Amino acid sequence: MLNTIRYYLRLYLLFTKFAYRTVLQARLGILFFMGAKLVRFAFFFFFILIIFGRKSNFGGYTFNQAILFYLTFNVIDTAAQVLFREVYRFRPMVLSGTFDLILLKPHHPFIRILLGGGDILDLSLLFPYLLLALFFAFKITSITFLSLASYFILIGNGLLIATSFHIIVLALGILTTEVDHTIMIYRDMTIMGRFPFDIYKEPLRGVFTFIIPIGIMMSFPPYALFGLLSPFSYLLSFVISSLLFFGSLKLWDYALKKYQSWGG
Amino acid sequence: MKKYFAIFSLTVKEYFVYRLNFILWRVRVFINLLILFFLWSSVFEKNPQFGSYSKDSMLSYIIYANIISNFVLGTRTPEIAGYINDGKIINDLLKPVSFFTYYFTRDLADKAVNMFFFFFELALIVLLFHPNIHLPKNIFFGIIFLINGVLISYFANLLLSFIGFWTTEVWSPRFLFMMLLFFVTGSYFPLDLLPAPIFYLLSLTPFPYFFYLPTKVLLTNITAQQFGTVSIYQLAFFSFLWVFITWYLAKFAWVKGNKSFSFWGR
Amino acid sequence: MIQVKNLTKIYKTTVKGSSFFSDLFNRKYKEVVALDKVSFEIAGNELVGFIGPNGAGKTTTLKILAGILYPTSGQVNVLDYFPFDKKRSFLKQIAFVMGQRNQLLWDLPALDTFQLNKEIYEVSDDRYHQIVDELTSLLNAENLVEKPVKTLSLGERMKMELIATLIHNPKLIFFDEPTIGLDLFSQEIIREFIKKYQKQYRATIMLTSHYMEDVKRLAKRIIVINKGKILYDGNLKEIVQKYSSTKLVTVVLESKIDQIKLSSIGNIISYVFPKVSYKIDRHLIPEKIDLINRLLPYMDLTIEEEPIEEIIKKLFSGKK
Repeated sequence: MLNTIRYYLRLYLLFTKFAYRTVLQARLGILFFMGAKLVRFAFFFFFILIIFGRKSNFGGYTFNQAILFYLTFNVIDTAAQVLFREVYRFRPMVLSGTFDLILLKPHHPFIRILLGGGDILDLSLLFPYLLLALFFAFKITSITFLSLASYFILIGNGLLIATSFHIIVLALGILTTEVDHTIMIYRDMTIMGRFPFDIYKEPLRGVFTFIIPIGIMMSFPPYALFGLLSPFSYLLSFVISSLLFFGSLKLWDYALKKYQSWGG
Repeated sequence: MKKYFAIFSLTVKEYFVYRLNFILWRVRVFINLLILFFLWSSVFEKNPQFGSYSKDSMLSYIIYANIISNFVLGTRTPEIAGYINDGKIINDLLKPVSFFTYYFTRDLADKAVNMFFFFFELALIVLLFHPNIHLPKNIFFGIIFLINGVLISYFANLLLSFIGFWTTEVWSPRFLFMMLLFFVTGSYFPLDLLPAPIFYLLSLTPFPYFFYLPTKVLLTNITAQQFGTVSIYQLAFFSFLWVFITWYLAKFAWVKGNKSFSFWGR
Repeated sequence: MIQVKNLTKIYKTTVKGSSFFSDLFNRKYKEVVALDKVSFEIAGNELVGFIGPNGAGKTTTLKILAGILYPTSGQVNVLDYFPFDKKRSFLKQIAFVMGQRNQLLWDLPALDTFQLNKEIYEVSDDRYHQIVDELTSLLNAENLVEKPVKTLSLGERMKMELIATLIHNPKLIFFDEPTIGLDLFSQEIIREFIKKYQKQYRATIMLTSHYMEDVKRLAKRIIVINKGKILYDGNLKEIVQKYSSTKLVTVVLESKIDQIKLSSIGNIISYVFPKVSYKIDRHLIPEKIDLINRLLPYMDLTIEEEPIEEIIKKLFSGKK
């Protein structure tokens, strides 16, 4: 068991190293990308600032709380990108037939197509987001050690949901020949989590909380931090994320059976 | 004229080859609109007034802005950069059509498809939210500024693609541009809500002229209008100025690029 | 080592309808039978040539044996594993070389890919250095391993690909069109390498190719497949005797002979003075040779088997 962990850890570091070296070859591109992401972050920050500057709010939350929803979204979204950047490159791999060569290797394909090639540069954004989140968290007087702990536990749960989504994207990349941008659908849905889920009305809110659990992923951690989450909701969130995770693995197994390897 | 119609209809056909892809694209556009509506509805729950906007005028702004931005921003020009990089652009250069006109026709097709489906999505939103939409005013000037916005968008997009003549790094500048475009042009909120000095600076850039200006013109009485500290005359002037600047830069880059390019590629 | 019994693979593809809506709501499917109850067995230390036209099912068979594709029905047993399970111990014993596709990291030297595979296949340091030295000298490629892969020519890349794929010294190797797209010189190098490798390491090799030259030079046993069915499984030499009814007789003439006299011998395939070639039925050979001796003044006479390419072509078109 320990040997297996060491094996996969070594492979993970190697894949990340190679991805990093390849990315570094386009230095100007990196500048533009980082710049663009910072612009995007700054924009929404100011947007929320403006809303609250005019003595308004959404969902009945204070400024600090609203910012925390936004920062939590950034932490989870960025962490997912740090880990799963390789999923964005999966489709070309299937089309060119390179995916076959990965299936032939004695390691689980996920270490290569899910985790291999993580985005180190986004890691440099993750830490500021995390620090900012903690900064605003401590400004909220009602937080306790317990609520902070559950905040982080639910962020972990959110990452589990993100993992499941990415596995589903991989499976769809094999199953459908038509959709090139399944991952973009994931991105467009998760941006719903920038703001407190309270702003959405039923049935949309229900669908995106329980069936496609973006609400659980992005909004539950702040809810927990503000002490708004019932014990039942805690349980529900873990049940749903586990179901989604095992469902995604089953979908992947099914996809492999249906794989036709038409590439190349 | 016939050849332009052929280009137009062929471009439209391209969209329907991958139906699932197409449907999912529309779903994404719809979700984006949905989020905007929920957001602003929530803001107006506590306060009936936000700056100079009531709930109805804000939602009207969002609707107009998104209709116009969908029209103005729809483009096929990103593919040009790829064609330059792999040499396929030679095919387009050999055609007996002006390159600028050819791609403008393709863009019109893109906009047409966009608009057609957008109205269904919009209808759905209206059904869900029952907003009181203001009727348009100053239609003549609105159209003038709309045309300006379309041209500025077209030339700016061409310029971005022509970067491909000098580097393979084409996606990142476009990504940055798209980020700026999405936020600084006023699709999330009316730009005049910004603090006055910032609005003034912004009015010197091309961004407000993509679709913010036509939207505002269609929604407000411009006779006595002052947008913060900026007069409507100044905005009009800059609108035309930026059409000229973007056209000139795109043309310049095109000529320069063609001369210096060695048309490599497999 | 490999046992395949009644292996069938059916692909299901969607057929594009005529309109937007019919495609969305009323999808039609088309079934393609890629393999139809294919059976064969391969033992250790064998080099088997697998030939067939495009779409015959060669690549599908190899991919099922390697565990990439899931069989629709039938039994597949490779090294006592069911390949699709992709057990780690199974994958560590096999290798797959695909022509025109490679696993080499593009921007980095091939050596980096070798080291990556060393880690993936858990090859010991000593074994790794030994294998790399042996294979690079077999291919005369010592100076290529440190150059970035994108700067290498197609033939050079193929050499690096071979080494990278064989780092772990697999027992079973699949070669899918390994020489396709290469110049004649590189093709020769690859063939020589496969031959020497098999001899030295006694691996079992399954090789598919369009080029008869590959198969002729490397395989003693061939399996001919077309439209998902096996047409022939046996010795290369025997296929000639079994399916060929004619021989090629070439005469180098001393002096010009008039056309009528030449034609009287038999069926002329080609005539460019001084060489004339006839296609003659096997059992007629003795009497035709006699005829040639009497009628034609010649400097040289050769009798050859019908080219294997012709025999295979006949097999594909279903003639006897």
